[in-house]
Amino acid sequence: MIYTIVYGFSIGAILYFISIGLSLTFGTMRVINFAHTLTYTIGVYALITLVAFLQGYFVLAAILAVIIVIPISYVIERFIIRRLYGESLDYTFIATFAVSLIGVDVIKWIWGVNPYPMKDPIGEYLMFWGLSLPIYRILIVIIAILLFVALNFFFKKTIVGKIVVAALDDKDGVRCLGINVDKYFSIVFILGSALAALGGVLYAPISSIHPYMGLSILLLSFAVVIVGGMGNLKGTFLSAFALGMVMAITARYWSQGAETMVFIVMAIVLIFKPIDI
Amino acid sequence: MPLKNAPAKDYGAIGFLVIAAGFLLITPILSTHRVTDFMIFCIFAMSFDLLYGYMGRLSFGHMLFLGTGAYGAGLFIKYINGNPLLAILVGIAVAGLLGMLLGLIIVRTTGACFALINLAFNHIGFFLVLSPLREITRGEDGFGVSASKLGFLNLGSRPIMFGFVLLCLLLVFYFLKRLISSPYGIMIRSIKEDETRVRFLGYNTYLYKWLTFVLAGSIAGLAGALTALNYNYVNPNAMDVNSNVGVVFACLIGGAGNLYGALIGGVTYMIISNFLPIYIHRWEMFLGFSLLIITFRFRKGVWGYFQGVWENIVKKKVIGKPIEGGAADL
Repeated sequence: MIYTIVYGFSIGAILYFISIGLSLTFGTMRVINFAHTLTYTIGVYALITLVAFLQGYFVLAAILAVIIVIPISYVIERFIIRRLYGESLDYTFIATFAVSLIGVDVIKWIWGVNPYPMKDPIGEYLMFWGLSLPIYRILIVIIAILLFVALNFFFKKTIVGKIVVAALDDKDGVRCLGINVDKYFSIVFILGSALAALGGVLYAPISSIHPYMGLSILLLSFAVVIVGGMGNLKGTFLSAFALGMVMAITARYWSQGAETMVFIVMAIVLIFKPIDI
Repeated sequence: MPLKNAPAKDYGAIGFLVIAAGFLLITPILSTHRVTDFMIFCIFAMSFDLLYGYMGRLSFGHMLFLGTGAYGAGLFIKYINGNPLLAILVGIAVAGLLGMLLGLIIVRTTGACFALINLAFNHIGFFLVLSPLREITRGEDGFGVSASKLGFLNLGSRPIMFGFVLLCLLLVFYFLKRLISSPYGIMIRSIKEDETRVRFLGYNTYLYKWLTFVLAGSIAGLAGALTALNYNYVNPNAMDVNSNVGVVFACLIGGAGNLYGALIGGVTYMIISNFLPIYIHRWEMFLGFSLLIITFRFRKGVWGYFQGVWENIVKKKVIGKPIEGGAADL
């Protein structure tokens, strides 16, 4: 049972990393960013290459992998997303989908389609009360909580964060104050993409790695964002962990149905809470 | 954009002849079986066009209904009865029922949320077919479908299948054309333009959206059932989540919001996807770049482009005499 809880929290933490970027991009820019799958996958593949190159310095490789994603996400923002401000959501969706299609094909070109195996970089278990819990999963949960605190600090105390929160509420109002909103949006976008890459990097050792890995995780984090509320930071945090628990508990009894159950929860939420985006 | 009641002049019969002649003309070049496949895809593209082009709801999970139709028809033939016509009806009915159920939830949303929820349900459907229902659907391997002969209607023979699919295509085309120029069609086009205003006028937009969703699903189910009969085979590829981009591409390149556009787009996409991978290995990349070009530069599609050219020619003819209120249009 405790194992299920740890499992649920670690999945929830990963979902939180990925959905926070989705939620922020939608809340500020009104863009559903399908290219999120791409930054996530690029982070993972960069990690694979770097771990092989650095021969086992996992932490360093992880940090470098996240840094590599930043210029890529800037390019996506500058040349694709920025042209789509104020367009209808359909076009932004199609354009970002096209970007992810191109990116996935590039990944297939460079790394091939075969799945890569990767093992838990710590591989040790925490033993107490006769239970053995993988330290790596506990570490993920701790990182997620630290990140939540850090993001809260960022959005409440720093000027950049305050501008972003204000723009979530009223974009035109912020623009009227003479602030160049687009600049902050690109910061938000890059932050979101880097967090997605971080999620990918942390999740890679405990999942299977293949070029299409981003799709199912994007759908899950999209469910998180719908349940938590678009552009609602605290709601995203809570719903990520709640849905992570749903996945873990379902997986305990019916291992294949974990993802399906998340979508069923999402459908139930949608029945009672209509959203208009 | 003003809403016209019907296409300016109704060249109905000529349109049918042109479509039929077009498909018959490309048959000798591309082989009967392939063109049959193209036509089935065109039916699918038209059902998508009803949803996206006319009602303005972009779905990224329309393959779910195609797959449901294919599995419905295939399983009916395999386990119950070999009659192909009944199987097609079952395929349509199953897809329609699924649309009725999911529509209750999906139709509440719009925009990208609509697209992603469809995608999520498509994902669930694919997963269900692949593993929990493995006993019935044979999982990844799929199963063979052999329909029995029905008098002269032997769908196993390619020319007859070709004729049958062409007939279905024309029927769907006629049905959708009538539907779209009816008051109901004006309603769904108004929902695309501004749903809030339609609701102000006192219409229950939810009902209309739901109905359109069910209709689009049923027609996609027809396309699925025909696919099953055409290949004599059903496997989870019929419901593949990643194939959705094909129909979106077809609809956009042909010109969304026009049935001729959907037909042109369907044929164009099928020709590209059948022949290009032979020459270009990185086929998804090509698709991605062309989608980007379409979204940034070529939103009206092929049909919209030709329409624009035609309108320019017509305008040049009447130039000289000033059009009253012409400036107001600018």
